[in-house]
Amino acid sequence: MRLLASLALQNLGRRKARSLLLIMAVAVASGVVFTGATLMRSIDSSMAVGFTRLGADMMVVPEGALTNITAALLTVEPTDLVVDQDLFAKAGLASVSRAAAQKIARVEHSGIGSHHDSVDLIGFDPALDLTVRPWLVERINRDMRPGDVILGAGREAALGSELLIFGKAHTVYGRLGRTGVGTHERGVFMSFATLEALAGSVHGPNGPPAVLQKGKVSGFLVELAPGATPLQARFAILSTLKGVKVVTGDSTMSGIRQGLAALLNGILALMVLMFASTALMVSVLFSAIVTERRGELGLLKAIGARRGQIVGMMVIEAVIATGAGGVLGVALGVLVMRLYERSLVYYLENIGVPFVWLDGPRIVMVAVAAIVMASIIGALGSLYPAWRASRRDPYDLVRGEG
Amino acid sequence: MLSCRGLRKDYVTERGEVAAVDGIDLEIAAGRYAAIIGRSGSGKSSLMAMIGGLSRPSQGQVMVDGTDIWSLSENGLAAFRNRRIGYVFQFASLLPTLRLVDNVALPAMLGGGARSSATYSRAASLLGQMGLGDHLDAYPSEVSAGEQRRAVIARAMINEPALILADEPTSDLDEQTEIEIMDELLAVNRERGTTLILVTHNLALAEQAEQIVHIAHGVIVS
Repeated sequence: MRLLASLALQNLGRRKARSLLLIMAVAVASGVVFTGATLMRSIDSSMAVGFTRLGADMMVVPEGALTNITAALLTVEPTDLVVDQDLFAKAGLASVSRAAAQKIARVEHSGIGSHHDSVDLIGFDPALDLTVRPWLVERINRDMRPGDVILGAGREAALGSELLIFGKAHTVYGRLGRTGVGTHERGVFMSFATLEALAGSVHGPNGPPAVLQKGKVSGFLVELAPGATPLQARFAILSTLKGVKVVTGDSTMSGIRQGLAALLNGILALMVLMFASTALMVSVLFSAIVTERRGELGLLKAIGARRGQIVGMMVIEAVIATGAGGVLGVALGVLVMRLYERSLVYYLENIGVPFVWLDGPRIVMVAVAAIVMASIIGALGSLYPAWRASRRDPYDLVRGEG
Repeated sequence: MLSCRGLRKDYVTERGEVAAVDGIDLEIAAGRYAAIIGRSGSGKSSLMAMIGGLSRPSQGQVMVDGTDIWSLSENGLAAFRNRRIGYVFQFASLLPTLRLVDNVALPAMLGGGARSSATYSRAASLLGQMGLGDHLDAYPSEVSAGEQRRAVIARAMINEPALILADEPTSDLDEQTEIEIMDELLAVNRERGTTLILVTHNLALAEQAEQIVHIAHGVIVS
């Protein structure tokens, strides 16, 4: 193995310019794939955050509830009416991708703000949420726990500080950005369990609000399934779920979100094509290299090299070159992303458009995958020409045939 | 040592099949120096390639020391070429990226089994015997054509083969170098008892052979 690797390295060193060009070609391809995959995943996450910041596609509330239509559906409206929390889970509607339940209780004398200020206590399910967490601009560096609250942009409190609600201590877990939606800006957000734990302390004219009961919610913020139209979803919801009404958001945004998701998939397909064309290029190049070295390969076979050794030498040579190209491509990709971060991302964040980079371990995984893919392309691209040469009689190769 | 029966080699050309070797029977005893002579295109190199396990015969059998070499598996034949046969080709057949000592050691390294240090020590010793002791670390392009050919003979000897096949080994060398190279090959034949088969169209070189096989149009004529 060491002998084959050493011969492969020496062969690469013979035609430095050609080897360098091969490495550069693979570097460009794997750099594009690495950068593209990282940016695409980052853009995907950013889009998810950006679009969810624009609100849900539609809102489903109890039939008699009054709704204040805003540009963005970020929270349900305070109402005395409730619906069952498992309404959507039971219905299983194909046109609905996600239905995030919310509880909202408008309360006074809670201990937040001045004595007579009303406060919207909003309960949400962090696992299904699509309109609260995307707006987090700062938070404690840990997962959300029972007793944690998130403050709307209109409320001030230091992260980690204690906040008394009806005399019960809560921790300020995070703060949301400005949305321009009143309920959202003034709200105090918490998990269902945390809100339900306040039921004993909240008293209205007819006792605690019904929404604080377990299993009851004020409504749902709905995200459509890819390809589903608001009309289809509305029809499906109204024909399946009883006692609800549907409030539709801005359908233009739903269309843009679905269109961009399709575009990202198209870019992924282009990257796959680019890698495939690189594999073909490596194969063509190694066919030429085998033709050029027929005499030497014949000589190696004549002096006792086995077929496996001939194939191994050529494949190792290709893997070294394409692997090096992969590493170089990743390095170039990192540079490109630094430039991107300092220009476009900086600009986007300055105008308030969020850009969420993939986390470090995932970027490392994408980098390793790009290098491994580049090496596999080298191995696959050289395998057939090497295998063909290894099948020839040594005499044919020495004479320059085959 | 070497026995060929009904050996035939056909090549497919645009004008149909052509028999380069047409049913040759041949016996060469162990330790002999045999010369295969004939004009260009007579089939002598094709015959040698079949004898040396380099080109599969269209028909016939090649026995070397009792082994039917063309009945061996692919890897078996590679191992046979590696251990039992040494080749000296009509062209400078050294790998340009390897030093002379690496080139000489290469067959032993490819065969595996041998310790690297022992192989290199033997390679250096063989190069020393060929008068190349001062050129162990030289690359092929840094030595003369005659020195390259001596290194090829050293490489052919590294696994102590029973048979050396030399296909026009001096065709591109000057007269003096040709004599020196032939002296080296004959010394290997006489001193080590290695069977030597020389393919040449130079009758003067063949005169010293113990057995001369004259080929024309793919058949033995004398």
